[in-house]
Amino acid sequence: MSVLADVLTVVTQPQLLLLVGLGTFAGVYVGAIPGLSVTMAVSILISFTFSWDVYPAISLMIGIYMGGVYGGSRTAILLNIPGAPSAIATALDGYPMALRGEAGTAIGVTTVMSFIGGFIGIGVLALAAPLVSDFALRFQPRDYMLLAVLGILLVGSLSQGSLLKGIFAGALGIAIGAVGRDPLTFAERFTFDFQILEGGISFIAVMIGMFGVSEALGQLHHVDKDAVRQKISRIVPSLSTVRKHLPLSLQTSSIGVVIGALPGTGGDIAALMAYDHAKRVTKNPERPFGEGAMEGLVAPETANNAAVGGAFIPMMTLGIPGDAVTAIMIGALFIHGLNPGPMLMIDQPDMFWFIVGALVMANCFMLLFGLTGIRLFTRIVEMPRSVLIPMIMLLSIVGAYAVNNSVTDVYWMLGFGVFGYFMRHYGYPLGPVILGVILSRLLDDNWRRAIISEREDLGRFFEGIVTSPLSLVLFVSVILIFVSQTPVWAKAKARVFGRKGEQQ
Amino acid sequence: MTRAFLGALGALALTATAAMAEYPDKEIQGIIQWGAGGSTDTVMRAITPHVEEVLGGTIVLQNMTGAVGAIALNHVAGAEADGYTLLMGAENPMLYKIMGLGDKDYGEFIPLSILARGTPILVAGPDAPFDDYAGMMEHIRANPGEVRFGSTGPGGLPSVVTAMIDAVEGGLDVIAVPYDGDGPALTALQGGAVDVMPAVLGVAIEGIRAGKIKPLAIFDVAGHDKLPDTPHITEFNAAYETYLPWGPFFGVFAPNGTPDDVVAKLSEAFAAGVQNADFGKLMEDRGFTLMGISGDEARAFLTKWQQGTAWLLQDAGHTKASPEEFGIARPGE
Repeated sequence: MSVLADVLTVVTQPQLLLLVGLGTFAGVYVGAIPGLSVTMAVSILISFTFSWDVYPAISLMIGIYMGGVYGGSRTAILLNIPGAPSAIATALDGYPMALRGEAGTAIGVTTVMSFIGGFIGIGVLALAAPLVSDFALRFQPRDYMLLAVLGILLVGSLSQGSLLKGIFAGALGIAIGAVGRDPLTFAERFTFDFQILEGGISFIAVMIGMFGVSEALGQLHHVDKDAVRQKISRIVPSLSTVRKHLPLSLQTSSIGVVIGALPGTGGDIAALMAYDHAKRVTKNPERPFGEGAMEGLVAPETANNAAVGGAFIPMMTLGIPGDAVTAIMIGALFIHGLNPGPMLMIDQPDMFWFIVGALVMANCFMLLFGLTGIRLFTRIVEMPRSVLIPMIMLLSIVGAYAVNNSVTDVYWMLGFGVFGYFMRHYGYPLGPVILGVILSRLLDDNWRRAIISEREDLGRFFEGIVTSPLSLVLFVSVILIFVSQTPVWAKAKARVFGRKGEQQ
Repeated sequence: MTRAFLGALGALALTATAAMAEYPDKEIQGIIQWGAGGSTDTVMRAITPHVEEVLGGTIVLQNMTGAVGAIALNHVAGAEADGYTLLMGAENPMLYKIMGLGDKDYGEFIPLSILARGTPILVAGPDAPFDDYAGMMEHIRANPGEVRFGSTGPGGLPSVVTAMIDAVEGGLDVIAVPYDGDGPALTALQGGAVDVMPAVLGVAIEGIRAGKIKPLAIFDVAGHDKLPDTPHITEFNAAYETYLPWGPFFGVFAPNGTPDDVVAKLSEAFAAGVQNADFGKLMEDRGFTLMGISGDEARAFLTKWQQGTAWLLQDAGHTKASPEEFGIARPGE
């Protein structure tokens, strides 16, 4: 019974409830602005809430976290500019919907699906945290590497049109991610002896430039065209819509929880993998992917919100952060006199259940704030472009500067903006570039870790893959997905299905 | 005429207040060398409110990451020496020169306070086939080139401790697997990806308490209150006394040329912050030893630290440039 009381702490104390609500509200809007990240908001809050008690401080942070992960989808749908890396996949089908005047519907679906995903993540956290964290610990460097390779194969899903151009874009992203001092040996790579390149290129600056500025530049072509009028009669999706997508959302939420629970991977990779998964399993979408398929919204949004609960799993059970935000929360717990680690759940189970309760409330608030104020938000896209474009530019500059408080990042952002504009112009997809940047370090670091661990012996490396069930499953998936994208597969499939046809 | 006169009067009044105003009369920027959530970040965010109270001003903290902290260091070194831009860092800059990471170190700064130092500890995964340092050495000798040591790149704590073992035991044939920090490396230790890890005691302690991490030896000349049952390394081999006590530290620095009265005021405020009971408890819980030294004492500490560590790394062959090139003398010379 004490468990229930701990979960309900947040509800029974109006002050805490207010803080969770306030945090979620702020999070939705912080998340919606590209560059203003949840990580940043939470780290500022640490100093700010230092003199508070631990419960109110955690309540506010959890609210911001939950709201922020969701908020990124807003600008992704309305402006084709993901507010956060985890909303990159959302833009792929969300923006085409806004172009058809269905921004209201898109936001409605995203909100409800984020809510469902969030709940699944919290559920797993509450019921199976030790189990999942044991599983996550089993990932060896070679498994992370295989996971990254699996991620790179998503290039096919993310590039509409030419696969070749997609592969080029992905490779470019990997190269961008490798710039700077290598964090493992501190050797300089692609720096050409420029000091400015030593610190690497901020991934957020690349993202804001590629999506924000290039979009603004692209819009300049249509300055005089009237904006699409948005129908906002039906925001809350009907029960049948939700039910129809429930199986998919369960699958993508599981992807979200596991990827979120793995230390070193977070909502951004989860959302992209979920999008790819949706594309594979959805046989007959009402509309093709990339042109406003509902499934293309459901998958990434359930996954990135499920990843929130997932990220708390290693944090609560082992004291290991699941992502950047939980890393800061661990610091906050320390400052407030707690000792996050494997003993936290044994010494202070009330804290665990309190966090579960706060997450549940934050999730509910997210639904509330998500479904209200849409009318106001959709006005953004209806604004004249002569107002909208300068606004996008302003937000992009502020966002790029705010990440590291560095003007250099602003220059990078503008540079990649212009570059992204030309890429778009010549039909190169931008998604794979970001995918490449995200996965670059994951792939590179873990490949080297894996091969160094095996004394740089390829034979031993493959022996390791074959003898570990987890590695083997990942390895086989990589091969299957790779083959399924080649013409060989299509031919084999045609032959099999062709034969079946004859038998009938 | 009247307007000009009033204007002049106003300007005079302004300059007068500016000259009379006590430091600090505006916000102070505290540049943290490491990312949010790391141990430097946690320590600096924990002490700042107490310092602000004594100082009667506001310190705005900002994380500036990249190039192992060199970007933040260069930023503060290039800022005006007026006491409004402070560097909040750890031990790494003392190795930048020899590791080829930059041409500046804390020599460009006035140490306002060395807040605390950490104690290294050697830990292993729960399933390791040895229970203490002696057993580990035996296992390594029996299986040369097989045991995996977690590392955090050249110049990090694990590389220094590994170099120490190498120097004392005359050779250490292990695989060093690099990770981004001691957090991720300890995670890998629990998952079995690495076998042994030299870490800061404070980071490993919760894992040890839960039995997920096995302590082998504390790298100090005496035991530690937090782990009374764990032996210290000189119990196994007295030769370690040459290098110990050694440990990472946290400090707050102002660029050279900062006015003396400002330095005095800041040093005092940070000294008071270190004395604060809440801060003391936080540091004790994380296994850090409070120091709170400043001025010449801090300088002497930094010089000694740099000499010992730089030559240890040089002898182990980890450096890019010899300490000699930068006038870093061999300890005892």
